[in-house]
Amino acid sequence: MWRFALWQVGHFVLALVGAGLLAAAVSAFAITNATQGMAAFSRAFASRAAAFGTGHFGYSAIVAQSSSDLVLKGLAPTLTLILWGALIALIVGAPLGIVFGRGPARRALAPLIQIVAATPVFCVGLGLIWLAVHYAHWPASAHGDAGAALGLLPAILQRNGGAIASGFRLLLVPALIVGASGAASLQLSLRRAAAEAGDAPYRQGLKLMGLSTLEIERVYVAPQVIAGVLSNAGEIVLALISAAAIAEWVFDWPGDAVLFVKSVALRDWNVAALVLLLFAVIKLIADLAGALAARALAEPERDA
Amino acid sequence: MSAHANPSPRTAPALRAVIRAIGLIGLGGIAIAVGLADVIARAPVDAIGVGPSLAPPSQAFPFGTDLLGRDMFSETLHALAITLGDAIVGALVAVALGGIFGFVAARLPWRIGDGLRVVAGILAAVPALLLAILFVGLTARGFAPVAAGLAAAPFAFARAFDRARLLGASHYAQYARASGIRSATLLRRDLAYEVRDNFLSTVTRALAAVAITLATLSFFGFGAVPPARDLGLLIASARAGFLDAWWTAACPAFTLMLLILCARLAAGLDEGERP
Repeated sequence: MWRFALWQVGHFVLALVGAGLLAAAVSAFAITNATQGMAAFSRAFASRAAAFGTGHFGYSAIVAQSSSDLVLKGLAPTLTLILWGALIALIVGAPLGIVFGRGPARRALAPLIQIVAATPVFCVGLGLIWLAVHYAHWPASAHGDAGAALGLLPAILQRNGGAIASGFRLLLVPALIVGASGAASLQLSLRRAAAEAGDAPYRQGLKLMGLSTLEIERVYVAPQVIAGVLSNAGEIVLALISAAAIAEWVFDWPGDAVLFVKSVALRDWNVAALVLLLFAVIKLIADLAGALAARALAEPERDA
Repeated sequence: MSAHANPSPRTAPALRAVIRAIGLIGLGGIAIAVGLADVIARAPVDAIGVGPSLAPPSQAFPFGTDLLGRDMFSETLHALAITLGDAIVGALVAVALGGIFGFVAARLPWRIGDGLRVVAGILAAVPALLLAILFVGLTARGFAPVAAGLAAAPFAFARAFDRARLLGASHYAQYARASGIRSATLLRRDLAYEVRDNFLSTVTRALAAVAITLATLSFFGFGAVPPARDLGLLIASARAGFLDAWWTAACPAFTLMLLILCARLAAGLDEGERP
């Protein structure tokens, strides 16, 4: 386990350095441009890479604020969207993966899932907004203010009915957009892990040893399936981030993805680079945590 | 993304072949419709006042009309032609730099391939859409098809690389090396078989990925340049009024879905699988 963990951490650090260099390359465009040639760009890149190494991410060319301040401001709305979306993905995707993993249910619903999977996320977003406005009279946009949604969790803890209702109305549609995308990714991971576990040769051996099906499923198969899903955590998180970017744009949500889009449009490369780095880091952390958790879960099974 | 790392839930090979055939027939139908767009469409591109303003779908206007009285069926067909043309360009970029280069990179000497695989992994850690937006931002909106292809390439590269490594470690490859067959010959053989067996599914897979990215790029304002409108831009321009005139957004959206669905089916993707 330790050797595996060290290998994974080493891989993570290497990828982190690579992501930092990619962000530094983007940031270098803030102090140079294509017309100045490769030598000027190389100097700018070296200077930005050194600055990134010391935690200095530069300033926005548009609002003259620190890039890190701007990105931190958008982080809470983005993470709120991703976390609530992940919760919806778990609630919807896990049962979907289990029910449709095998047998006639999968065959019956496969065409429907194919159609849903072929729908671009922004079309899902527009459809959900149309439904929310027409059938629930909910807002079609956050108008750049996600305050009520950010206060949803404290409101739930304080049992503040009014704040819960307003937060819920604001958050549900964009979180559903993110959740739908995450659910598709999660159910696929679950189905694949279940298919792999279903083919495992040890099942027959354990049956011959006298173990009941339930016992085999609970003690051996379930950890293997969960480990399979965890090892795919990075892909699921990437699906959530991608969907969050689109949900933010469709719903005028003041998060980091919208900040990235606006920064690129305005050629504000320092800010764009930092958002890029942030998303890459979140995905890489999910990869690392998923791989380690999957290994830890699968370890007793291998020992057995 | 190797075959062993992500085993596909079992679908009968015959059923899979039928599904892929349906997808290919669908793509063929779309290509014919696009080829005959000027004949099928009742109005030329961007023709204003063809019908009344914001008429809902009817026999005269199957997809309705927009605020300026443009026939949405004709506009959708013309937009589909632009989306499909751009998606093919992007898909070819993704296949060349992702699928084929990834396959070759896996066999490069001195661990060059491993280094390239790490770079592809880093680029694949960023959502393809944001990567495409970045490429367009660094170049120009006219490069959107290439940008979408470049954004899809890291994922395709990683998949092809892992597959090539898997083939390289297989029994027949070991026998071939042991019997003195050179690595370059083995690579040529594997590449020839890969193109023969998987080229169509790789291209259609890339087509699905690029079509989604391109449409979303245009929806964000980074794709097609007006007056040329692709499906993403058509949906984006309907955004202001779609709450009252749903057909202005829904009809292009369903057409886009149909294109992506056919590409997904032709590629033989599992339900929910990322293209």
